[in-house]
Amino acid sequence: MELPKTPDELSAQDLARCKQLLEDPAKWHSIPLLNHTPLHKLKDLGLVRFRGMVQDMMDPEIYLERYEIKSANGTTRLQEGKYRDCLRLAKEEQLDYNAESNVHGERRTLFVVSLPGQNAWAKEHEKECGPEMTTPPEGGIGVGIKRAFDEKEDMDIDSTDDVSTQKRQCKESPSTVSGAEKPTAVLGAEYLLNSPLPDRPSMACMIKVYEDFDKYTLNSLMDFVGFLSVDPALDAATLDVEAMQQMECLSELQAQNPSPFLIPRLHAFGVKSLAHANPLLDRSLLQPSVADVQADTVHKDLRMLLKLCLFEDDLAAEYLLSHLISTVYSRSEMQSIGKFALNLCNLPKDCLPKEYTRKLYEVMELLLPASHYLPMSLDTMNSAAFAPKKDYETNKLVSGLLQLAPHTHLVLDETHMQQGKLEANGVQAIQHLAHLINNQQLKCDFQYYQIDYNVDIPVLVLSEGRSMLPSDFVLPINADAKAVDMSEESMKAALHYLQPQRLQQFRSYLTLARTSEFSVSEELTETIQQYFVDMRKANVKSNADDLHGLLVLSRLLGISRGKVALDKETWHLATEYESKRRQRLQSLPKSSAQLRN
Amino acid sequence: MARRDYAQDRESIKTFLAEFCKCDDDGKKEFVYGSQLVKLAHREQVLITIDLDDLAEFNESLAEAVIENCRRYAAIFSDVIAELLPSYKQQEVHAKDALDVYIEHRLMMDARTRNPMEQRDERNAFPTELMKRFEVGFKPQSTEKAHSIREVKAQQIGKLVTVRGIVTRCTEVKPMMVVATYTCDRCGSETYQPVNSLSFIPVQDCPSDDCRVNKAGGRLYLQTRGSKFVKFQEIKMQEHSDQVPVGHIPRSMTVLCRGEVTRMAQPGDHVLVSGVFLPMVRTGFAQMIQGLLSETFLQAHRIICINKNDDISDKDAELTPAELEELAQDDFYERLATSLAPEIYGHLDVKKALLLLLVGGVDKRPDGMKIRGSINICLMGDPGVAKSQLLGYISRLAVRSQYTTGRGSSGVGLTAAVMKDPLTGEMTLEGGALVLADQGVCCIDEFDKMADADRTAIHEVMEQQTISIAKAGIMTTLNARVSILAAANPAFGRYNPRRTVEQNIQLPAALLSRFDLLWLIQDKPDRDNDLRLAKHITYVHSHSKQPPSRIKSLDMNLMRRYINLCKRKNPTIPDELTEYIVGAYVELRREARNQKDMTFTSARNLLGILRLSTALARLRLSDRVEKDDVSEALRLLEMSKDSLNQIHEHQKGHVPNTSDRIFAIVRELAGSGKAVKIADIMDRCTTKGFKPDQVDKCIDDYEELNVWQVNMGRTKITFM
Repeated sequence: MELPKTPDELSAQDLARCKQLLEDPAKWHSIPLLNHTPLHKLKDLGLVRFRGMVQDMMDPEIYLERYEIKSANGTTRLQEGKYRDCLRLAKEEQLDYNAESNVHGERRTLFVVSLPGQNAWAKEHEKECGPEMTTPPEGGIGVGIKRAFDEKEDMDIDSTDDVSTQKRQCKESPSTVSGAEKPTAVLGAEYLLNSPLPDRPSMACMIKVYEDFDKYTLNSLMDFVGFLSVDPALDAATLDVEAMQQMECLSELQAQNPSPFLIPRLHAFGVKSLAHANPLLDRSLLQPSVADVQADTVHKDLRMLLKLCLFEDDLAAEYLLSHLISTVYSRSEMQSIGKFALNLCNLPKDCLPKEYTRKLYEVMELLLPASHYLPMSLDTMNSAAFAPKKDYETNKLVSGLLQLAPHTHLVLDETHMQQGKLEANGVQAIQHLAHLINNQQLKCDFQYYQIDYNVDIPVLVLSEGRSMLPSDFVLPINADAKAVDMSEESMKAALHYLQPQRLQQFRSYLTLARTSEFSVSEELTETIQQYFVDMRKANVKSNADDLHGLLVLSRLLGISRGKVALDKETWHLATEYESKRRQRLQSLPKSSAQLRN
Repeated sequence: MARRDYAQDRESIKTFLAEFCKCDDDGKKEFVYGSQLVKLAHREQVLITIDLDDLAEFNESLAEAVIENCRRYAAIFSDVIAELLPSYKQQEVHAKDALDVYIEHRLMMDARTRNPMEQRDERNAFPTELMKRFEVGFKPQSTEKAHSIREVKAQQIGKLVTVRGIVTRCTEVKPMMVVATYTCDRCGSETYQPVNSLSFIPVQDCPSDDCRVNKAGGRLYLQTRGSKFVKFQEIKMQEHSDQVPVGHIPRSMTVLCRGEVTRMAQPGDHVLVSGVFLPMVRTGFAQMIQGLLSETFLQAHRIICINKNDDISDKDAELTPAELEELAQDDFYERLATSLAPEIYGHLDVKKALLLLLVGGVDKRPDGMKIRGSINICLMGDPGVAKSQLLGYISRLAVRSQYTTGRGSSGVGLTAAVMKDPLTGEMTLEGGALVLADQGVCCIDEFDKMADADRTAIHEVMEQQTISIAKAGIMTTLNARVSILAAANPAFGRYNPRRTVEQNIQLPAALLSRFDLLWLIQDKPDRDNDLRLAKHITYVHSHSKQPPSRIKSLDMNLMRRYINLCKRKNPTIPDELTEYIVGAYVELRREARNQKDMTFTSARNLLGILRLSTALARLRLSDRVEKDDVSEALRLLEMSKDSLNQIHEHQKGHVPNTSDRIFAIVRELAGSGKAVKIADIMDRCTTKGFKPDQVDKCIDDYEELNVWQVNMGRTKITFM
């Protein structure tokens, strides 16, 4: 059995069986990926796939699932309306709104953007893994003909002409739309695309889903299979302005119905949620076989690499590695457990003018499937949109740069901060960042109230002194004087060291480590509890957060070494690291602000 | 379902309107709708609201039918009323507007020219829509639950539903044509066209007999004076934040208002809208591209602003009997308290105080003097003792709350700002945190870091519950009935026991005295507590969930609703308790003098006790303050003082045990006399935070030591 090629084929077949077919990774993989395929190579109503993050959810739509059509000569026929946007009417035919046989259904529209902050290598890999997209035999101009064949089965001859002319119009319009901005359009393409990271634009797609409405949550990563719909009639900007003048909701109408060539529609029937964004470990992509990942050796190599990048500081390498594999694994009302916000401070001053931070990020970029580097200058803080905000004029959730998919690493470079005045936007931005770091939640502004959405964005702050943002672990770097002089060379060496083969290993290792399970044995918990009581006795200032930190660190240290359960050795290592880190913090010069507190 | 007999329903509606009556207090019959019909007939009232409770009382199946097929019955009701109205007219009506005059004229002309035998064109007859000068609305049954927008689905189409939400957008009120009236340029006859949808196609050719027979080809011209318009407004509403499931985007809905229901709400209002859920027939673009889609809207029958009208609460918030039973267990006070921020261990008394802050005391206005009921609490403590977490939790739990930090907010943040409207250039007042939290809780973190100007504003808020603003030439006073929950760090990093409270947090005594309770939270290493905490944390980490605790903590939503329920009670203090309260207060004052207390005791404390005890009575859902409430209030006050003073005791070296302390109290009570009543001892001791069993133990201990004797009935002790 084959996958359905058009909505009509699907409605003729059994939906459950089609879904079963999709279970097969080879079948799933054979569907062209909309993310990397130019629209002109795809045909309207063809089967496509789209991967991305749910950015916004729109109000439900009530549509005609099945409807009756009256033609001029009085005959009537039934037409399926599922998985398509436009009525299928020929000339002289009319929809009978009051027919008894009309069936109404409900569907939802999700506004999905391709993974924001996806790094170049991941994009490239995803593209390569996609099916060969030579021009499909019946594609191009053939589309019209193909459709015409379809029509012929259930429509009389003179109607086909009409349909194909319509089709031809559809072929012509992309050039006009993508060319000059139409005078009728109220909203710019950038606003409509709504990329969370404006300087790294994502692709957007409006996904219409027909079932399991509660399964979709904001900011989750999903892979959708369904039918493409790019009928030019869907564009509200093509409308006559005169006629629309009196309509108040013009901007809303245009925002909800953007040009399908800018934002294609996809009517989904198969959906998969993605646990991670790493295409190397994605079963739905056809993979060149990956060499077995030996956790031990890879861990050693990776640690060495990070050490090289961090001025030969072993402790910092260990913490950065833990940070790279951290994930929130449990949540309660007040806490998000497992987060590992790291602040690497005390960066040697000499390296900063040489763009050390950016180079460090470049290495990270090569390792992670998705990440974003944000230089925290006064200007960016004051001007950029951080948290999503609802625009009631257009009924859209306008994205902000903190709206990121799970496991997208955010690197904040505080070394770019200058003295000056933080405007209202900047103060809010800092508050949003602090809230994100402390709670792993993103506050979306709905003007009349705010709603917290759970996110999982590991945050790394690079700063000269202590960061002004909160963090779970502050680690001053102990830079080796020689390494500082050599920093440029060592960065070059690091990049040279990252051969494709090794890179693949590192990338897979990091994702595997992040998703692996880890347990704490009963007997060891006793030791841990005793340790905490002793720690409290020794130092009054230590509190519950310290214990949380220790547990998270020991877990990550264990996982990075390929262990599945906490053992004494790892626990001791964690306590040792923490006390080392504390010592370094003590020796940090105290600022006037801290003295006051 | 069997088809209803509309003709029969019509008759029963007629009877209902004419005969339905209620008995008023004097036992007199009052025709609810009959009297309204009279008003309608005289054009003194426009909207007649049919209460479905009344209709259900009259004919239950009819009420159900109305809910199921609301639009149709609205039309039937309107027709019936139109039919009945002439018989209710008692006197000549003066014309109210141009349309009245117009209708009167046409009716007169018609009567004059009309030949009873003549067949008339239906188009030219006056449509009933033109003649009706009233509107019909339905009020849903009081048992009807308010839905959230996402609960309204396709099945509800055509039905009367009630939806709760927040208004996000309103269009201007515009006239909408209900009946279009045309005049012919040839024959002069008038043609009427009723308009039912949002758009219409104007009639072009004159349909009158003259023009048709003569083929004169008369053109019709729209005439505004004779057309009937109705006020029309489109509202967008959105779900409230507590109705949105985790990880979802709030839904919105379009509400169309006509006539008298327009201008009922503004953006930002929390509203309950009852109306008919209908599919929308739109023309133009919507139809062109999306013939497949049908938009839906709510045709409003009734809009109520919840924030303006506190008495009307929606049924949604009501507690079910099962939930009430769960709450009504003996230890509910402890349970509610521990359920506040369950992640934070211990601090039970602090949590109890915060619970009372959420419930609030009773406002009193004797002879124009206003005594606030809201309770203000200040938490102090060393950095890192979960003060901020407590504040965060409270601000999330409270229905209306604002969270600010003293450092982060400028003057504008806490009070109010004058803003210039970019469109109209009008100056408007934008509420700051305190105004926004009116009738709620304002949590201020880092209270000590706040700018002095804001703190001055808080003085006024805390006692007068208003904010005066004099900015950019605008002088006004806004209500700010808020409870203030503040958190402050000690001025020198850690709390210094050798200094007074004022010195420690560097806040003026005048401001501190406005807090009903001051609490010092300390984090002292304590083996048992630490071990419990460590167990908790390791459990969370290894099992990825909260450990099962002995007392199951209550769901936030349930708490919220219970607190709402409590707030509706207005308990009073019975006279016999006043003496007890006064006595306790005098005792407090005396003690403060004697002990050179580090805290402040003033007349405000007395009011504080009253507030706390009324809040406790509210918490029990009682209408009367009991003695136990007062003693618990006194105990809390004592404990809060203790938290400030206990450090001093540590310094003294000698810590008297409980029995010794109770003994001291008894000695004091006895004074020069020899015998003391045990009941008095109990009273005194419980107000000082001792438990009855501790008192009993003390009495037994000292009896053994032969210090005193206890009489047989155990009512009195006599010193030896």
